Amino acid sequence: MPDQRVSNQLPAPAAAPGSGGAPVLEAVGVTKHFPVHGKDAGRLGHRRVVHAIDDASIGIYPGKVTALVGESGSGKSTLARVLAGLYGRTAGQVLLHGQPVTATRGRAFRRHVGEVQLILQDPYGSFNPMLRVSTHLQRAVRIHDADHGSDVLRTRTGELLEQVHLLPAGQFLDKFPHELSGGQLQRVSIARALAARPSVILADEPVSNLDVSIRLGVLNLLAELTDTGVGLLYVTHDVASARYFASEIAVMYAGRIVESGPAERVITEPAHPYTRLLISSAPDPARRSRSDQVADTGQPPSLISPPAGCRFHPRCPLAMPECRTDAPPVFELGDGHWSRCWLFRADHGTPGHAAGTSPAQGAPAPSTPDDPAADSV
Amino acid sequence: MIISSDIEVAVAEPDESRPRHGWVRGLLVPKVLFGLVIVGFFILLAIFGPMLLHTDPGTVTSARLQPPSLKHLLGTTQQGQDVMAQVVDGARVSMEVGFGAGILTTLWSILVGLTGGYLSGTSSELLSMFSNVFLVIPSLPLVVILAAFLPNSGSTGIIIVITVTGWAWGARVLRAQTLSLRRRDFVEAARATGENTFKIMLYDILPNEVAIITATFLGSVVGAILTEASIAFLGLSNVTQWSWGTMLYWAQVSGAELSRAWWWFVPPGLCIALVGTGLAFINFGLDDVINPRLRAGISRRRRFARARSLVESAVSLMRPKRAATAVPAVGTATVTAEPASPDSSASRVLDIRKLRIEYGATAPVRAVNDVSLTLHRGEVLGIAGESGSGKSTLARAVTRLLRPPGMIVSGEMVYTTRSGRDLDIAALADAELRKFRWEEISIVFQSAMNALNPILTLGAQIDDVLKAHRPAMRRVQRANRVRELLELVGISPDRAGAYPHELSGGMRQRAMIAMGLALDPEIIVMDEPTTALDVVIQRQVIETIMGLRDRLGFAVIFITHDLSLLLELSDTIAIMYAGRIVELASSDQFYEHPLHPYSQGLLGSFPTLSGPKRTLTGVPGYPPDMRKLAAGCSFQPRCPHAFSRCEEAVPALLGQVEPAVAGHRPDPAPEVACFLYQANDASPEGAVAGGGRA
Repeated sequence: MPDQRVSNQLPAPAAAPGSGGAPVLEAVGVTKHFPVHGKDAGRLGHRRVVHAIDDASIGIYPGKVTALVGESGSGKSTLARVLAGLYGRTAGQVLLHGQPVTATRGRAFRRHVGEVQLILQDPYGSFNPMLRVSTHLQRAVRIHDADHGSDVLRTRTGELLEQVHLLPAGQFLDKFPHELSGGQLQRVSIARALAARPSVILADEPVSNLDVSIRLGVLNLLAELTDTGVGLLYVTHDVASARYFASEIAVMYAGRIVESGPAERVITEPAHPYTRLLISSAPDPARRSRSDQVADTGQPPSLISPPAGCRFHPRCPLAMPECRTDAPPVFELGDGHWSRCWLFRADHGTPGHAAGTSPAQGAPAPSTPDDPAADSV
Repeated sequence: MIISSDIEVAVAEPDESRPRHGWVRGLLVPKVLFGLVIVGFFILLAIFGPMLLHTDPGTVTSARLQPPSLKHLLGTTQQGQDVMAQVVDGARVSMEVGFGAGILTTLWSILVGLTGGYLSGTSSELLSMFSNVFLVIPSLPLVVILAAFLPNSGSTGIIIVITVTGWAWGARVLRAQTLSLRRRDFVEAARATGENTFKIMLYDILPNEVAIITATFLGSVVGAILTEASIAFLGLSNVTQWSWGTMLYWAQVSGAELSRAWWWFVPPGLCIALVGTGLAFINFGLDDVINPRLRAGISRRRRFARARSLVESAVSLMRPKRAATAVPAVGTATVTAEPASPDSSASRVLDIRKLRIEYGATAPVRAVNDVSLTLHRGEVLGIAGESGSGKSTLARAVTRLLRPPGMIVSGEMVYTTRSGRDLDIAALADAELRKFRWEEISIVFQSAMNALNPILTLGAQIDDVLKAHRPAMRRVQRANRVRELLELVGISPDRAGAYPHELSGGMRQRAMIAMGLALDPEIIVMDEPTTALDVVIQRQVIETIMGLRDRLGFAVIFITHDLSLLLELSDTIAIMYAGRIVELASSDQFYEHPLHPYSQGLLGSFPTLSGPKRTLTGVPGYPPDMRKLAAGCSFQPRCPHAFSRCEEAVPALLGQVEPAVAGHRPDPAPEVACFLYQANDASPEGAVAGGGRA
């Protein structure tokens, strides 16, 4: 069992744990509801909504990778789009360099996307099939470069393809999207994002649609970008790749961020029962002779009428009475690691080591013995 | 986890085959060409006809109702006017009205449809309401009324009338298309790049609607020509202006059909029909070529191949034995003659020998190449490979679900029944095949939503399988079996009345497994059964499968690109690359000591969750283009260990006498297709001595 150390001072909530820097892009208490259409819409005046995101806060730091991990439908892609400025918000704030971002259109929106670029999951879907690679890149350069003479366009598009290791660039410029492989095309979409010289890249499942053998190359390319100071949000359902690729991991379940902290810590000492379930469910060749069976047979809840209290409580093996009624607040676990789980309430005393809002002190308590994930790691 | 960037530089293939101006070539498609010739003829006739023909269509002569002659090529009317001159003049009016109204209608529908579809909110609603109102106004009476108000304004009046009454349908179709396009990823990507709304509409939406716009345009041209002819025929337009419609009007009022003056009314009617046909041909032809994906020319080749294989499969249906291939039909004698190793013969359930599958006939792509595999009873065989490596094709061949243009070119697949009888899967006749499939071997596909029938309940679908294969079973017995099966895969039996859309993805996949198990098959082929599922649900489904395997003892062929999943659940792992098996080993051997450089790269691509982080190496380069495989070993262009021999010959899949790594090995020995493990003089005998699994 790895030793769980508790730091004596808590970092300020907005600061990067361990880095001390301020986040370049930040969501603070963001809530996003979508109206429900069709027969489930409810009566007029009582319109029902999909609670896609509720009270989510996440920071992206310069030169660092933050992973946002969750199942499909957990709201992770919606959060990325809210950060990209494509969706408005029901509540909460998005801060870019500490300044609130408001517009989802017009000139202010353009300024925002000049700094924050989004990369989508399906490389074939994210390119207009009728336009060549050169057209796509030139278009992005035209939008973000004040000076765009034809010479500038040519050298800039060449540079962009070089930056994503597509060489010789001339061979790729004249191609239509369907003439490239998925991996090559995803590199082009990174090149397109780089045309804006962004300070943040939001990558929504950037490698999920790619073959295994080329995923690593694309991830490495994204990691290279952070060397130049770009902050990266890596949205994924693959918790193992988040471990290798990110310095911070935030875990999302049913529209809420349930746990967040330094990547290695979240993987090796997962605090929230959902995180434990997620990690123990993921296939891992290093753990082939698994003896533990995952008992869970539940499903994620409906986001139109989410369960009261903690949204994971219907599936949680450790659920307590308060989990059914009250949504858990953030409980700090030290070193920037926190979890929204009543297990970590100060007076609860069972597992973990943290106190509610006051800095945690004293000796670390061992993890719960009935924690299946902790046993296998 | 950084790999040196010089090896992952992409090498773009020389593109000798790429059509530079696909749309120009599109015009050369026979259908389009034919249509263009006809329409072009009438356009030229409209422009140059009056100059060449010096007869005035209105001049009254004494040569009344003359049949066609050299002087009057198409005869004369009752007033002695030249029909030819009238047809030529009519062509001008028809073309003017047709193309004029076509262009105006299309422009107006684009404007309303595109803006109405892309913008949201009140303006969109208003535009939609506006076009819907016009859609429900009966257009013919409106045309008649409007035409009555503008009788003497010539073609312009008619063009305006037709445009006003005809734009709504096109606008509606374009609006629907725009609504679906604006949700596409590339529109979102363009927005995220910061592109403004007008340019997104112009560059992203509009080009993708070219097919519909063309169809709308050609349709409205035909419609306008017909409407003009109808108005004129009814005498509602200026009947002293010559058009095909007014010709018909005068022929009708003068009783041309009574006087059998066919030359008076046939030519204008024929002209209208011909122009319509020509435009329709252009429309059909352009449909095929307007999409750049269809431009590559593959589609035509494929269609040809499909036709050919259809003929071949028809031939093979008529004769019970396979007629299409050069392979001798496999009898029991051939199979027993095979030198089977003692341990495998008893429990062997499926034996694939040198299987080769190609797609297409003219330039065949070899999707599965020389694949040999043995599956034992109760074994879980995992097949991993990237997309296009041939793993799904193999699964379909084994279940005989391979459809043309895919064809088994050579090789054999021998299934051994529980009683020890050998069946050649490829040679099964239809009746045998129906029995074989699902009773002996069943398949579970990736997308359960597509594989389940959306309008039947789960219970009914499982019941169908039982009804078809177990006609003797009574209704109650079947109902019990359905409940039993659902319980088996962890679905509450009272969900038997649920429709597929009422179930979650994981439940649907379980239902598919229940259907696969319905007849107690010996083998279940699972083609990416959990790829669409979330990890937690995937874990539930996998545990269900493995639990059932332990209880029921069926063999599983599990196909996925997720090697880490495969390592957990397989007994044996086969790695496919570019249609060949490059490594075949037990799961443990494979994980501990992968032999093939591709396998090593794959294993080095997977991040792990437990234990210390290791260095990820990855595989350099990009997956191969199956149409242009490298010479020698297909992996050689991406291989860090490639040497000259790899370009010269294709390494065979051979058993390892002495694996490169030391350590105790349980039998059977791993097999690998790589020259790194083969001495220059390696002979097949040496390989067999090495203890190949065959």
